[in-house]
Amino acid sequence: MIGWLGQKTIDGYIYLTDLSAQVYLTICELVSPGRQGRWASLRVTLRQMLFTGVDALPVVSAVALMLGLIVIMQAGTQLPKVGGEGLIGSIIVVVIIRELGPLTTAILVISRSGAAITTELGNMRVAQEITALELMGIGTSRYIVMPRVVAVVLSMLCLIFYFDAIAVLGGFIIARIKLTIPFYPFAHAVAQSLSLVDVLGTVAKGVLFGTTVAVVCCHHGLSVRSSYTEVPQQVTKAMINSITICLLVDILVTVAVYF
Amino acid sequence: MKYAVELNRARAGMTGEDWKTEFTLSVSPGEFVALVGPGRSGKGLLLKLCAGLVAPEEGTVRVLDHDLAALDSEQLTELRQRIGVVLQQPGLRSNMTLYTNVTLPMVYHQGVDEATLLPKVLPLLDALGLTPLQKLFPSQLTLGEARCAALARALVMNPELLLLDEPMGGLDAEMAQRVDRVLAEYRRTRTVTILASMHNPSVLLERANRIAFVRQGRIEAVGPYADMAKMPDIALQAYLGSRSVA
Repeated sequence: MIGWLGQKTIDGYIYLTDLSAQVYLTICELVSPGRQGRWASLRVTLRQMLFTGVDALPVVSAVALMLGLIVIMQAGTQLPKVGGEGLIGSIIVVVIIRELGPLTTAILVISRSGAAITTELGNMRVAQEITALELMGIGTSRYIVMPRVVAVVLSMLCLIFYFDAIAVLGGFIIARIKLTIPFYPFAHAVAQSLSLVDVLGTVAKGVLFGTTVAVVCCHHGLSVRSSYTEVPQQVTKAMINSITICLLVDILVTVAVYF
Repeated sequence: MKYAVELNRARAGMTGEDWKTEFTLSVSPGEFVALVGPGRSGKGLLLKLCAGLVAPEEGTVRVLDHDLAALDSEQLTELRQRIGVVLQQPGLRSNMTLYTNVTLPMVYHQGVDEATLLPKVLPLLDALGLTPLQKLFPSQLTLGEARCAALARALVMNPELLLLDEPMGGLDAEMAQRVDRVLAEYRRTRTVTILASMHNPSVLLERANRIAFVRQGRIEAVGPYADMAKMPDIALQAYLGSRSVA
């Protein structure tokens, strides 16, 4: 039992070291990209942004709208019982903008783009596309990982703000229909409860979640060795680890910003 | 540069075999050396050692005047731009057309647009019979076509060293003739060193300056085609083709 625990600890340490090394390499490629591969990498970045950001808008809109409706419906029916009718704005900011917005967006990005990245890279590895790229002098960090990290971080940031806006809109629809609160008081209540710290916290979560998802998913995709049956196994690991690390990061950011 | 490729007692393990390979071979600039021998004899591993994909456990591998073990990843990346490699699996990017696959190294390293490369790349595609296929994706190509595309991708950067793993594998007779012509023309107009592995008799064997017979991870004999054809080893004669056996 102790041996198993020790081995798991060592494995976890090595895993986190590998991820940290990948983040470091990505930052190095980003800071000093050199001349070679700049345009090719930019093209990969834009394509990934199109898939992760733009193509995700319909599903993010639907989930955000429904979540906004649910949260305000629950709050609107429960708060009057304790005399908290005026707390609608605070509820939206605390529940949606601070927590559910970033986390739900991260889970959507993990399940859509994270899984796709791991699958694509895993298949590339088995088909020796990665080896062929390396043999052409095309570095994996510059051409494969860095563009995906940049694209996922930017897409994650935009999607979180978009999610928040749509969720607030969903909340307003319920507030208008069920609770008969007009737009101006509703918007005023949300604006009053929102602070710069909330915006900065959301930005921090967007950057950290995006980095986590992209790096973890790339790492697992590139960990595939020789068989297509390894691909779904690595996808499962990538998704579970991405969600776990995002939750841990969320706790750390929440503690750092709000405590 | 005295040798384009120099392996000195380079030892490496073969996956699935209990023996280790040990290669000693020197290839001069502009020379064409064909590696012949049975499957799993270590020919592919020798090419991977030269490409820097596998590091030797012992011994040294020098390529284009560089000791591969002494290079960092940045230097190895730079060196690889001077080497064209075609592995047994073509390794074409599955989400790119044949044309974008062939131009990828130039687009990446020289930062030029694919469209502006057309006049440079089209003659090569024509010579390999790939022009009608340039808009197809790798999944729509036959193995032979994909391998020809991989060869075009390797040649497009004008490499000083070509490492070809079974260049004639999966090619029909016409494709094989085109590859033969392209390589001959390439050698006529440039100083290019070629190291190619083959496990079937092929027209390329007669073009090679020297033939190295590889068996169980060792180079058992090296020499010009005519000399090798006189050797009594039946297995070697089988790889050189029936004409030699007679």
